[in-house]
Amino acid sequence: MNFPIFETDKAGLQKFYEGVIGNNETYAPVEKFGKYDYKRVSKLSECDPDSPIEMTMSIKPLFFPKTAKVLKMQEDSSGTTLSETEEDPMAGKRVILGVKHCDARSLQVLDQVYTWDYIDTDYQKRRANTLIISTRCDKAGNQCFCTSLDYDVENSDAYDVHIVNGLDGKIYLQAVTEKGATFLNSSSIQHPASANAKEEISNHYKSFAASFRLKMNYSEINAKLQNAFESPEFENASSNCIGCNTCAFICPTCHCFKISDEKIKDTGVRYKSYDSCNSGYFTLMAGGHNPRTVKYRRWRQRAMHKFVYYKERFGVNLCVGCGHCAISCPVNISIFDVVNQVAK
Amino acid sequence: MDYSKQIQEIASKLFTENKIDYFAGYRKNTFDDNQVPVLVTDPAEVPKLVFTDQSVFNLTNYLKPEHTKRKRVGIVVKGCDSRALNLLLTEKQVTRENLYIIGVCCEGILNEKGEKAQNCLECVMPDPVVYDEIIGTPTGKKEYQVNVDIKELAEKALSERADYFEEIFANCIRCNACRHSCPLCYCAKCCIDQETSSLYHGANTSSGAMHALMTWSLHLAGRCVDCRNCEKACPSHLPLHLLHKQNEKVIFENFQQHLAGMEKDDRGAFYKYSLSDPDDFIM
Amino acid sequence: MESQVKEAQEKVVSAENPEITAPADWQPVIMGILCNWCSYAGSDLTGTSRIQYPPNIRIIRVPCSSRVDPWFIIKSLQTTADGVLISGCHPGDCHYISGNYYARRRFLVTKKLLNFVGYHENRVQFSWVSAAEGPKFAKVVAKVTEDIKKLGPLHRNKKENF
Repeated sequence: MNFPIFETDKAGLQKFYEGVIGNNETYAPVEKFGKYDYKRVSKLSECDPDSPIEMTMSIKPLFFPKTAKVLKMQEDSSGTTLSETEEDPMAGKRVILGVKHCDARSLQVLDQVYTWDYIDTDYQKRRANTLIISTRCDKAGNQCFCTSLDYDVENSDAYDVHIVNGLDGKIYLQAVTEKGATFLNSSSIQHPASANAKEEISNHYKSFAASFRLKMNYSEINAKLQNAFESPEFENASSNCIGCNTCAFICPTCHCFKISDEKIKDTGVRYKSYDSCNSGYFTLMAGGHNPRTVKYRRWRQRAMHKFVYYKERFGVNLCVGCGHCAISCPVNISIFDVVNQVAK
Repeated sequence: MDYSKQIQEIASKLFTENKIDYFAGYRKNTFDDNQVPVLVTDPAEVPKLVFTDQSVFNLTNYLKPEHTKRKRVGIVVKGCDSRALNLLLTEKQVTRENLYIIGVCCEGILNEKGEKAQNCLECVMPDPVVYDEIIGTPTGKKEYQVNVDIKELAEKALSERADYFEEIFANCIRCNACRHSCPLCYCAKCCIDQETSSLYHGANTSSGAMHALMTWSLHLAGRCVDCRNCEKACPSHLPLHLLHKQNEKVIFENFQQHLAGMEKDDRGAFYKYSLSDPDDFIM
Repeated sequence: MESQVKEAQEKVVSAENPEITAPADWQPVIMGILCNWCSYAGSDLTGTSRIQYPPNIRIIRVPCSSRVDPWFIIKSLQTTADGVLISGCHPGDCHYISGNYYARRRFLVTKKLLNFVGYHENRVQFSWVSAAEGPKFAKVVAKVTEDIKKLGPLHRNKKENF
C-alpha cells in the first residue's frame, strides 16, 4: 500500500503536533527525573516527541500497564460477590506521538500471544483504538540492533503515520495504513512532497542503517541457539547479572504478569502487575520446588524465549532489538552480547 | 586516577598462586566511557580489568552467595565500598579468609560532565577501612556534611514535599533493582515479598512503592554507606539518596555521630544503643 | 459574621492535603501498638480503674516495643489509620532488659523520615507507659486523639481506593 508523501518543515511539524494534541487524547514522551515516559499531554510544551532514544521508555505501559485492576470483590454474610472494575481509562480513542519504530514493531509481536490461547480483550481494545505516529531515528543508539533481526525496518507497517527528516530542514510525513491516511487527510499536513522525496527517504534509511554499532546474522544465531541449551557459555555471559527485574519490566515485548489480591476489611481488588522470569521466585511452585534457582538458568530461559521459543511458536522473534534492556541494566548486560557469546 | 596496571598485576598474581576463584573488578565498555563490573574466573581476562574515576559500581554486591557462591574472591574496593565490606564481615555474610581485599584510596568518581559525583563531594571516608593491600595515598577522614538536596527539601512546606515524594513513588516500577544492587540487602527473601504476610502488597501501585521504598530505607538506616548503587541502578532515575541521606543525617546528629561501617566491628546504628539517646519526643 | 465563624468551625482540614476536609465531628482511627508487659498491662489497669479514654484507638499487643518494625507504622498509615501510637516500658524497665533502648533509636529515625516524606510529625507518636500508670495511659490516648482530630483525615499514600 503506497500512500502519498507529504512535506513540511519544523514549524509545520510543530503545528501538526499542536493540532493532534488539540483534537485527540494524546500521549507523548514527558520528561521526569531525566527519563521520558509516555504520558497524557494537553499541550505541546509539556512533552518532547523527538526525545532521545537512550532516555525514552517504551510504549508498553500504554497497552500493558505496570498494574491494572482486574476485578473487585465484596464480602458479606451471604458470601463474596465479584464485579467488574471501572471502565479502562486507556480504552478510548487516542494517538501516541514520537514512537520509536522498534516499539511499534513490539506491538505487532505481542499481538500474537495476546490473541493466542486467551483473547485479551483489554489489550485488543487499546490496540484498536490507538493511532501510532512514529518518527524514524536519524541514527542508531549505542545498544540498538533492530536492523539485524527478522523484520523489515524500512517498510514496516507497525505504525500508522511515519515521519522522516529529509534534507535542508524538510520533514516528510507518510501514512502507512488506511487509518493513518484518513488521519493525515484531516490534519494540517496538506502539502504534497516533491518528486525527490522518495529518494531522500531511501537515502535517510541507508545512512541510518549504516550507523549501527551492533550487527548480527539473525538466522545463524537463531539456528545455533536452538542447539545451545546445554552450553556452559550461558553461565559466563550472565555472571555479573544481579538478578533484578529491570530488563523484563523495561522490555517492550516482555509480557509476564502476576496476580495479587489486595484487601481492606471486606472489600478487595485483584491486580495484574508486571513480573519477570529473572526473579528468583518466578518458578517457585506450591510445595517448594523451584527449577530455576540458579541465575544462569533464568538468563538462559530469557535468551532462549526471546530468540528461539517465541519464533518457533509464532514465527516472529520476540526481541525487537531496541536495546532498552542494555541501557537500563544496572550492570549494562546486553542480550545481544549474551546470544552472540553463546552462539559463537 | 588510573590504577588499572596495579589491579591487573595483583589479579594476575592471585590467579597464578591459586589464591582466588573469582576476581571482582571493572572492565571498560568498547563504545563509551562507562565501566561494567565483572566477575573474572579466567586469568586470560585479567588484561581487560581497569580502575579509573569511572569505576563507580560497589563490587561488594557480588559477595552475595548467588554470585560468588561462598568461594574465594579477590575484590577491589574504594572507601565507601570497604565500609560496606566492614558491615558484611561483622554481619557474618562473608568469611574474611575467603577474601583478598585490594583497597584503593579513592579520589572521587566523575560523572558524564566530568564533575565529581554528589556523594563523592560529600564523602567522609575515601580511604579503605579494611584491606589486604592498599593502593594510593590515604588522605584521612573528612568532615560530615549534610546532603544539599536534604537541606533544600527540609525548607519546603509539608504538602510540597508530600507532592514531590508522591511523584517519586508513582514513577517506581517495583523492579527491585535498588535492592538487588545494594550490597547490604542480602536477605534470601525480602520481607516485602513474603506473600503469606498480612502486610504484603503485591501490586505495582504507587502506595505499594511508597511502602516498599520507605521500609527498605528504614531497614538500611544506619547501614547505608552512600555508594549510590541503588540510584544508578534505578531505571526510572528516582532520587533514592534522599531517603537514605535523611536517615543518615538523623542518625549522625542524634546517635553519637555514627556513620555506617567506619569501625571494624560496626553492625549499624540500630544494633547498639546509648543510655543518653534522645528521648524527649516520647511522652 | 457569626454564620461564617460557625461554618469555619464545622470543617477540619487535612494537614497534608489542604483540599481535603471533613466535618468537625469526624472521628479519627488510631492504631495503638502496645508492649505486652508494661503498656498493655497499663491500659488494662486504665480499664479496670474505670477511667474513660477516647474509643478511637485500636490496640494491638506486641511482646516488646522493639518488635515494632517501621513497616507496621507505614502499613497502618496506608490502610485505615489516621494516626499511630506506640507505647512501651520506661527505659531501664524493659522486660527484655534493653528492647526499648533499641526501639527508641528506630522510633526517632522513623518519625523524622515520615515527616520528611510528607506526613505531619504528630501523626505518629510514642510513649512510655508502665503497668502501674493507668491514668497516664488515658491522658496519652486523649492527647493523641486530640492531636489527630486537629490534623484531619490522612489522605496521602493510602492504599488505592477501590
